[in-house]
Amino acid sequence: MKHMVSTIINGERRELAIKPYRSLLDVLRNEAELTGSKKGCDVGDCGACTVILDGKPINSCLVLGVEVDGSEITTIEGLADHTAPGAPLHPLQESILQHGGAQCGFCTPGILMAAKALLDETPRPTDEEARFAIAGNLCRCTGYTKIVESILSISGSEGAL
Amino acid sequence: MRPFDYFEPATLPEAVSLLERFDGRASILAGGTDLLVEIKERIRLPDHVINIKKVPGLDYLSYDPVDGLKIGSLATLHEVETSPVVIEKYAGLYQAARELGSIQVRNRATVAGNICRASPSADTLPPLIADNATIHTFGPDGERSIPMEKFFTGPGKTVLLDGEILTRINVPSPPPNTGKVYLKLGRRAAMELATVGVAVTLTLDGNECRSVRIVLGAVAPTPMRATDAEDILIGKAISENAIEEASQAAKDQCRPISDVRGSADYRREMVRVLTGRALRMSIEAANEGNSPFDISTDQTVD
Amino acid sequence: MTTSIILETPSPTLGLIPENGLSVVHTSPPRVDGLEKVTGSALYAADYSFPGMLYGKILRSKHAHARIVHIDKSKALALEGVKAVITHADAPKELHAGSPAPRVGQMVADQYVLAEKARYFGDGIAAVAAVSEEILEEALHLIEVEYEPLPAVFDMVEAMKPDAPSIHGTERNLVGPPFIIERGDVEEGFAQAETIFEGHYETGRPVPCYMEPNACVCRWDRGGKLTIWSSTQCAFMVRGILSQVLGIPAHDVRVIVEHMGGGFGAKQDLYQHEFVCAILARETRRPVKMEYSRKESFLGGRSRHPIKITLKQGLGKDGLLTAREVRLVSNTGGYASHGLGITAVGCLDIASLYRCEKNLKIEGISVYTNNPIAGAYRGFGAVQAFFALETQIDEMAVASGVDPLDFRLKNIVGDGDLSPSEHHILGDGLAVCLRRGAEEMGWYERKKMGRNNSSPLKRGWGVGTEMHSSGAYPDIEEQSNAIIRMNEDGTVNLIIGMADLGTGTRTMAAQIAAEVLGISLGEIRVIDGDTDVTPFDIGAYASRTTYVGGGAVLKAANHLKKQLLELASERLECPLEDLSLIEGRVFAKNAPNEGIAVRDLVSGEGGRPPRTLIGQGNNEPTVAYSFGAHFAEVEVDTEIGQIKVLQVIAVHEIGRAINPVAVAGQIEGGIQQGIGHALTEDFIIDKKTGRPLNPSFVDYKMPLALDMPKIKTIILEEFPDPSGPFGAKGIGEDPIIPIGPAIGNAVYEATGVRMRELPITPEKFLKAFAET
Repeated sequence: MKHMVSTIINGERRELAIKPYRSLLDVLRNEAELTGSKKGCDVGDCGACTVILDGKPINSCLVLGVEVDGSEITTIEGLADHTAPGAPLHPLQESILQHGGAQCGFCTPGILMAAKALLDETPRPTDEEARFAIAGNLCRCTGYTKIVESILSISGSEGAL
Repeated sequence: MRPFDYFEPATLPEAVSLLERFDGRASILAGGTDLLVEIKERIRLPDHVINIKKVPGLDYLSYDPVDGLKIGSLATLHEVETSPVVIEKYAGLYQAARELGSIQVRNRATVAGNICRASPSADTLPPLIADNATIHTFGPDGERSIPMEKFFTGPGKTVLLDGEILTRINVPSPPPNTGKVYLKLGRRAAMELATVGVAVTLTLDGNECRSVRIVLGAVAPTPMRATDAEDILIGKAISENAIEEASQAAKDQCRPISDVRGSADYRREMVRVLTGRALRMSIEAANEGNSPFDISTDQTVD
Repeated sequence: MTTSIILETPSPTLGLIPENGLSVVHTSPPRVDGLEKVTGSALYAADYSFPGMLYGKILRSKHAHARIVHIDKSKALALEGVKAVITHADAPKELHAGSPAPRVGQMVADQYVLAEKARYFGDGIAAVAAVSEEILEEALHLIEVEYEPLPAVFDMVEAMKPDAPSIHGTERNLVGPPFIIERGDVEEGFAQAETIFEGHYETGRPVPCYMEPNACVCRWDRGGKLTIWSSTQCAFMVRGILSQVLGIPAHDVRVIVEHMGGGFGAKQDLYQHEFVCAILARETRRPVKMEYSRKESFLGGRSRHPIKITLKQGLGKDGLLTAREVRLVSNTGGYASHGLGITAVGCLDIASLYRCEKNLKIEGISVYTNNPIAGAYRGFGAVQAFFALETQIDEMAVASGVDPLDFRLKNIVGDGDLSPSEHHILGDGLAVCLRRGAEEMGWYERKKMGRNNSSPLKRGWGVGTEMHSSGAYPDIEEQSNAIIRMNEDGTVNLIIGMADLGTGTRTMAAQIAAEVLGISLGEIRVIDGDTDVTPFDIGAYASRTTYVGGGAVLKAANHLKKQLLELASERLECPLEDLSLIEGRVFAKNAPNEGIAVRDLVSGEGGRPPRTLIGQGNNEPTVAYSFGAHFAEVEVDTEIGQIKVLQVIAVHEIGRAINPVAVAGQIEGGIQQGIGHALTEDFIIDKKTGRPLNPSFVDYKMPLALDMPKIKTIILEEFPDPSGPFGAKGIGEDPIIPIGPAIGNAVYEATGVRMRELPITPEKFLKAFAET
């Protein structure tokens, strides 16, 4: 009934026994005990569960856990390297802190992963590109202004500080 | 999610034999962005899920001037929207792919899945039909090819037979002086299901409309050709009067329903407005020989 | 600080800030809990799990109004892995008010944990606990419910008719007696008018859409004590109502809220799962987790109240208002929740904003219908009332040929006028906001584009204003408490009862304490969200947290500071009044280079144990008012009816910004919600069946990053209020209020079409456009 899945999560190889009808989001939150990815809708409409799967941002609620065998996943917990004490934050984390782009914080992990995926491909995005990249991430606190500022300011793009 | 068994066939024949064995109680998983939602919402309750992502040779997107564009059944919408050849030669499909859901969804969702789901509002359907695409399948009786226009029989319903799997979409290469447009009506800039979708593929011969295909989404049980509108234009000189007449004909021909996204009356009127706009844009593109959309990445909102 | 915020602080400070200025307050350090949030380590209610934990789920009614004749739970109970199924027969028969805080009139106790009669589509009628979520899902489908469908009513006017189905057995389905304000003689006022304006205004049913769906985990210990991790704005109210309904004392309920993903007012209410989860956990003797799906957060959540307002005003020859008569009817849905409070606040608000004290008659009615429950939501009553008032004021200006801004400046309330709470207003905040915004956008120089150009795209500007109380006084006798404890190394634990639902409460509180004590933010740890530990606080609502709660922190910190100075006075042999506390050291006036570190005052030495210093603060202020004006530019596509907001200039006078970036964050977020309410957001209920038609983020359309306009935020500090910490007033509710009428008025300027109903959907616009 359970399938053995071998995957690399945040740089660490994990062997997980997974029921095929569990979403990757549930597997991350329960089996892998990584609760940073959030369940805001569970049907791909809010982006709070965004993780990076083999280099691409995806909604982990719309992927089965069994599908990620042999894949590499980065979640919010792996955005910066926390293995060393006092290790620095990822520039995006630092920037969103400084700009006040995280309020309730529930959408923040998904936003940060979507933004990281953007900057990996487009290091100097425009305002429009930043908004396009997070169009699938709902936020109800910030009005997005400070989130977009957070992304643009670290990339040194126009429209930043 | 309701429990199901899970299979990862290594070949197409294996996938087909699984489908036959489970006789209607199995679902094919490709991108999963529709299927998993349907299972979660108990719209579909398969006992078996067959993931075809391990089947080799389905994840391509290729083009040559003779055969046109070939979209393998595992090609994602993200691959389509970032493909230079799609941007250049299949502008309607490009725009439809780019406006579907979110980046996260497009990184998983496939064009084939969008087609097999057969939603009346599915974005990629109108431009593909406007481009006269053909669907290729593999099943217990071997391969078939079906004009995409004939593929849909109702909401969620297609001519796919039990045990048949969509393997490829073929889109002909456009002749010179062709303009393509897809206009989607939604309330927001992304994450929308179309209230109305209008695709136009139009080829000019001087000032004369050599050919045009107008396809409407979300205004009938399946995507539909606005043939009355096309007849008004084909073989005639382009004029503002003809455009308005054709737009009105499209409005008269569509048969939308009222739902939470819009009333039937509103949808009909929007078919008129958007058909007019799409025709004007496609004529302009055909004249310029360019994609009507600014595809550079340095736009700003200011 | 970012370029989109302008902070303007005039010199008079009324002695509210220290002579040597502010060093922590009035700056924008990163949030004290920010690191947790950006690294994914912040724990929200659904992130907790315990060994042996079960999962719980509610079965919801498929009818909007139906008697539950019988529930057969045998098949569900027989399913392996199902541990409990409960119905109304298993739940306490204790009526509760659902919403915690008593406001004007009385809260109406009209809810059972599980009812014998469903009053809206989605009303919870049974609940299951099982070992996995899949078994839970199957079990819910195995419960067999026999309904006796009852006639249902969804329209609030229909509901008041004599032959309407009765929802709670009240006369005409009224929640309570009408709320009435009468001043002077309204008929006499209309007789004095040169022109009389009358209009009907209506607002929709937007939903807060906090990103964190409702969730809780319940666990009982063997001694009969319940601990509940819940996503609530009002932990002490959860404790109070749970203890009432479960029949256990308050100290046997511990409510913990570590982080919460937004609430916007709606999470003031206790939701069914919080009761049900506690009951399931007690029955199974195992921890139980319940998470609402997004669909459940719509169905079983709380929306804003749809309100119909008939507004009639007289305008005198001199351009001043002579009379105002209002009838306001509010649709509270299947249960009262905040229905009476919201009606009262709407009435009080519409009595103010524009001077018309002399001849005023206002009646507000709250009506039950078989719709989902409407409850508290940011801008509680004000959003609806000011939409009507601000729209009609615009109509009056246009009709009398006066510039809408000039018309407002002439009639707007100012210093000494009556506020909604019938206090006298302090300062001309509204006029200042209007003038500043007009200057920023060039109101008088603007091109009135739009109507006459040939393109289907028309542009125009509009303005809307608002004022909002900080706190709910006099409806609630406001009160907040804080405790501040200094440790032996000079660090501080600040213990507050206030909730941080994402607004920045912890940071605000820490900044105030740091400012008073002359220490850095890093030396303060805030403890909150635990009813076993913190002092009582009623919760987060009504823009009260900084004003009331921040004031309590200020008092607690001053209390601690006094004790420190007294210790220092002994040690330094120097009179108290000659001591000052700067950067963690106490100095005597005459010896500025010596002094003693705070840490050395409290740490033990030579056999003497360390001292424990505890400061306490209790704050019971009355009320202060914040003011705002929004200027919005829109572009209307007159062929497809869509309206795009191009830019917003938001001016708010809030006395003092404790953390300007956090204030701007409130404003920008409020504008997103307000744009949604004005244009795209509406929770639509089928008029025949009462079934919600768009309980998802696809069809309930919150604005996305791509939809949001450029926002320029201007924070003014012209009128600090002596009753607020350092002069600070509230900001939470304010920004959602004026954006709606600003957009509606801009649509008028662009197209000549006056929209009196929110949201302004493309279809509504096109219909009105065709008629003009």
